[in-house]
Amino acid sequence: MSKGLLVFAYNNRAVDYIQQAAFLAKRAKEYLDLPLSIVTDDVKSAEKWKDLFDEIIFCRSSAMTAKTYNNGTMAKQKLVFRNDTRPKAYQLSPYEQTVLLDTDYIIADDVLKNCFDGPNDFMIYKDAYDLAGFRDYSEFKHISDVGVEFYWATCVYFNKCETNKTFFDLVQHVQTYWTHYRQIYRLETPVYRNDHIFSIAIHIMNGFKKGDFAAKMPGKLYYTTDKDILHKLDGDEFTLLLEKENRLGQYTLANFKGTSLHVMNKFSLAENIDV
Amino acid sequence: MDEKLSQALERSNYMTTLATQKRFLWEKYQDDLTYYSNGHEVAITESLITFCSTLLDRNRQDVILTDANNLPFFVEDLSEFLDNILDQYARASNEYYQSYNELKKSRSVEGLVNL
Repeated sequence: MSKGLLVFAYNNRAVDYIQQAAFLAKRAKEYLDLPLSIVTDDVKSAEKWKDLFDEIIFCRSSAMTAKTYNNGTMAKQKLVFRNDTRPKAYQLSPYEQTVLLDTDYIIADDVLKNCFDGPNDFMIYKDAYDLAGFRDYSEFKHISDVGVEFYWATCVYFNKCETNKTFFDLVQHVQTYWTHYRQIYRLETPVYRNDHIFSIAIHIMNGFKKGDFAAKMPGKLYYTTDKDILHKLDGDEFTLLLEKENRLGQYTLANFKGTSLHVMNKFSLAENIDV
Repeated sequence: MDEKLSQALERSNYMTTLATQKRFLWEKYQDDLTYYSNGHEVAITESLITFCSTLLDRNRQDVILTDANNLPFFVEDLSEFLDNILDQYARASNEYYQSYNELKKSRSVEGLVNL
């Protein structure tokens, strides 16, 4: 069966998601020996790195969501964020077995290789680990105070089967009727998030309760938020400045090694990737 | 700034980074104690090692275990499985021990993060 990684990349005026995807493709080859395909609306830009991508798949985005991008605790800007095509991952993936990733997930180990041999058709992380260690992560436990369990759409494994086709059809249905589902599931934020859409669809697949449709991905999902800064990336070694609790503009210097990491600060990530 | 206060702040930064690095080492150790067998994930614990060892002592050649998703899986060659998890346990513990000792020796923030 064909295996590979799939990412969605839609640039805005300040963040080059396609470059991040190219960097991820390079690391996917190095650490996992797996190909990576990109879905984008800017094929011309993606072709700059055509040697790194297995396939460049065109898909238009119609979203124009604005989101705040932090660069540490002292700088931020509001930018367009186009994340509405990810629910089409099942139909767009060229692989029988796919790991769907965010472009800012930095592979630094081979743990994801273990997705492909196991008995699970669909895997996703429910728990994630914040490197700063003090931040309130209740928004990542449940989608709202009275909502269902939160799942991370950052890193998802699926294979092509009828059940997963149904799941992704459901994801697209929830997306289409987002205003309705947002109210039913008591989401306070109006911002569209794939994590929320996936979480709601998983809840429905489980018969509107907790269940075992979604198995746990191998290993753990570690992350740093965009209020932290990636100072240096050298192979599998991350040097980070982690936001300090109650000390605006101050950071804790830290070194994280040998494990993949979701780096949400796109600006400091751009300064550290070489493709 | 008063020199004593300056030293206290420097010490405070050192202690914060030290605590963070200790936490990361512990997490890494836990990750390194994760064993994968045909896509099944199991945590290598002292009790798993003892359990497998006991079964082998009683001449059992195979075993059924449960993985991180509570799914059962069949270990056909228990002896080989025990060797593998023992090796991995020893490697992970040794690395944790060495890294922790290196950390203890570092006397500056820069030293703690290999800068």
